[in-house]
Amino acid sequence: MGIITVLWEKWTEFKRDFYKITLAAMISPLMYLLIFGLGIQTTSHGEPYMNFLIPGIVAMSTMTGSFSAVAQNMSVQRLYEKALDQVMVSPTPLWQFVLGQIIGGCLRGMYAAGIILLMTMPVRTGLIFNGWSFFIMFLNGTVFSTIALALSFFAKSYTDAPRYNAYIIVPMSFICNIFFSLDQMPNGFRQVVSLLPLSQASGMIREISVGGSPTLFGVVILFVYIAVFLSISVVFIYQKKNL
Amino acid sequence: MIEMKNLTKKFGNFTAVDHLNLIIETGEFFGLLGTNGAGKTTTISMISTVLIPTEGEILIDGNLLTRKKSDQKRKLSVVTQEYSMRMDMNMDEVMEYQGRLYFLPKKVIKEKTEQLLEFAGLSPFRKRTVRHLSGGMRRKLMICRALMIEPEILLLDEPTAGMDAIARRQMWNLLRQLNGHNLTIILTTHYIDEAQSLCNRVALMDQGTLKKVDTPNNFISELGEFAVDQMIDDSLKSSYFNNRSEAIHYLEGLSENAAMRNTTLEDVFIETVGKRLPEK
Repeated sequence: MGIITVLWEKWTEFKRDFYKITLAAMISPLMYLLIFGLGIQTTSHGEPYMNFLIPGIVAMSTMTGSFSAVAQNMSVQRLYEKALDQVMVSPTPLWQFVLGQIIGGCLRGMYAAGIILLMTMPVRTGLIFNGWSFFIMFLNGTVFSTIALALSFFAKSYTDAPRYNAYIIVPMSFICNIFFSLDQMPNGFRQVVSLLPLSQASGMIREISVGGSPTLFGVVILFVYIAVFLSISVVFIYQKKNL
Repeated sequence: MIEMKNLTKKFGNFTAVDHLNLIIETGEFFGLLGTNGAGKTTTISMISTVLIPTEGEILIDGNLLTRKKSDQKRKLSVVTQEYSMRMDMNMDEVMEYQGRLYFLPKKVIKEKTEQLLEFAGLSPFRKRTVRHLSGGMRRKLMICRALMIEPEILLLDEPTAGMDAIARRQMWNLLRQLNGHNLTIILTTHYIDEAQSLCNRVALMDQGTLKKVDTPNNFISELGEFAVDQMIDDSLKSSYFNNRSEAIHYLEGLSENAAMRNTTLEDVFIETVGKRLPEK
């Protein structure tokens, strides 16, 4: 029930800021697709580079959509508006609030990815996006909204949210299997980067898009991230002495 | 009944509330008075579970209050000092969010919203977002939001701050009516006349500690019901008397710059807390 309340709150925000949210979700991925996919026409593994890029951009959009929806919203609610106090006082179980935030953030990430899929539809790539793709997008969105929620509890000022973006989202966007394959990375660094959630998500969505299926290892990695950051968020909201 | 036992809150080395022991009975209108930084808001924040005490505990009707206890929290509603609302929501949405957080049925939410916004004179502005409301309107909306759930305990942290004199009086009348329905109210305020007018009992806090608890009338009687003010070297000195004739007799012996009046709770506050503060 509390989850529905949070989703309702997210829905009112989405309706109100529909155009802003949609435009923000479109602009960066569209630029990447235009510049790297169409402008610099090249191939990767014998395929058009666009075929390599689109699954990565879909994974990246899920990440940025989910992360920014939660990190920004929660930091503002907690530190600027103090609207979180209203939730803390209420009888809504706080774990339901946490789950609602995560699901809401994940749906925003899915929406952002959905826009990319719609935009790239006219480009005849032959890529496959099926139930497995959406499952991985859902997991990826959940991972990043959970990370965003945990980090927003650590924020000391509501201006910290853009900083987290600069520290986490931007580097991951560039190194995690979005624009180039992990195979091209030096040993050691490659193994570390491959354990990052976006590397796994983009790798699996790419694999599915050429008729493959997700790997158990990749799915487990995503679940591990969810479990760790969900635990941090729940412990924080129940135990933190000064929210 | 709310019971605070050894309630303590520390922020690093700073002790905001220091071993507060207090019992507030059901249906009481209780005032927490103190200077800035006395620990009033911290106390309210601990009762509303936004802050967790460093030491001590809070019991509501004998049951320990924690963030996990939804049944205890259902009894509480709070009007915080800051406008704790989503700035981009309109009034209807603010009310609906509150109703949903307290699991009220949709029909009840709708009825209560109509009734409370009408009562507070906010109906014409219901589609306006919080961001575009005046300070007074936001305060009224926060009260409406707090009342929507028909709480047993209402925590008011400076609810009339920023309101004009007429709106304040309207608020006082509303709070009196609510208290008449056996609602327990805990009020913090900087307006001491507000506490004197509304509260059954008042606690004076200073630097996180509880100095005194009593009824406003008892406080005044203890100090002396009549005050004589005189200007001495550009500063006001007040003397207190329990007997009117004693006060008049004292006044007659003074120069022109003196006057007699009834003692107020503000005098008690200044005598209890203000004596510690350096004179300007």
